[in-house]
Amino acid sequence: MSWLSKLFSKLFAKWLPNESSSWQWFYRLGSPKWFYRRSGQWLPWLSLAALLVLATGLVWGLAFAPEDAKQGNSFRIIYIHVPAAFLAQSGYFIMAIAGAIGLIWKMKISYMVMKAAAPIGAVLTFVALFTGAVWGKPTWGAYWVWDARITSMLILLFLYAGVMALQYAYHSIDAASKASAILALVGTVNIPIINKSVDWWYTLHQPATIKLTSAPSMHMDMFMPLLVMIVGFYLFYGVALILHTRNEILRRERKTSWVRELVNAKAGL
Amino acid sequence: MYFENFAALINMDGHGVYVWASVAVTLATMLWLVIAPLYKQRALLNEVSRDMQRQQDRELAAKTNPSAPSSSENTEESN
Repeated sequence: MSWLSKLFSKLFAKWLPNESSSWQWFYRLGSPKWFYRRSGQWLPWLSLAALLVLATGLVWGLAFAPEDAKQGNSFRIIYIHVPAAFLAQSGYFIMAIAGAIGLIWKMKISYMVMKAAAPIGAVLTFVALFTGAVWGKPTWGAYWVWDARITSMLILLFLYAGVMALQYAYHSIDAASKASAILALVGTVNIPIINKSVDWWYTLHQPATIKLTSAPSMHMDMFMPLLVMIVGFYLFYGVALILHTRNEILRRERKTSWVRELVNAKAGL
Repeated sequence: MYFENFAALINMDGHGVYVWASVAVTLATMLWLVIAPLYKQRALLNEVSRDMQRQQDRELAAKTNPSAPSSSENTEESN
């Protein structure tokens, strides 16, 4: 991977931390001890925000939004299906980018984030597939069809599973991290395929409701709660990722003095 | 509320079973995603604490009886 880091330092020489101290935050973020301490302070607020936003969006979407003219009330599944699918894909990018940062800068914490992101993404992909199947029954008449969107999401689930499995396929943590990061990066090919699948192969799955480039294809009364749910899922994802990363830090740093001090401080309370 | 009463909200014109099943499974898995790591964290911290205790015991045993072999079996019996 040395050619990759050389290429990067050439491309981004201006922003790389040689003499400037403005990149200090990046390095401090790379310190497991610093991250563990600070994330402990963020967690209560982030959790509270996630809980409030999710509760608001769920009640709004399930009980107050109007029903769909064609699909009736079954369309309300959109309020969990779309945010889960959104985060399943965003989470994959987060995992792949964390892997890339680990490969290029050899930052320990980013490999831990990558490992933490895999099971969360896998669960969210499962949720998207499950809610999609349950939505399919009243709408399409079938729980499962080999539609392009559904198949590419299933591949996403396998990619997550592959990254998780590779973590345990090596004796050395370093080798496992590198292999997982490369698989994660290669797998990003699947993300645009998921996004475009509804346009390229126009079969059963409906086209995207939300696009960055155009107005949403649904009424504001239906769209607003969906937006709230997506924000809520992002907040929830943040909480879950921090919790899993903290455990990975403890697992890998359990012999260090700062973890021992932490345990001593806890015992003293 | 969009629905006339609570029963209509639950039933959703016959679609309630699909909607509420999706919501239940989603909330359960999301809850698991945050509760499982909290239990795991407690287990990890306990493990570190046990390691430290064991090391302390070993050091103490070595100090009180320097001639004895400082094997782990020996110290664990003294607990």
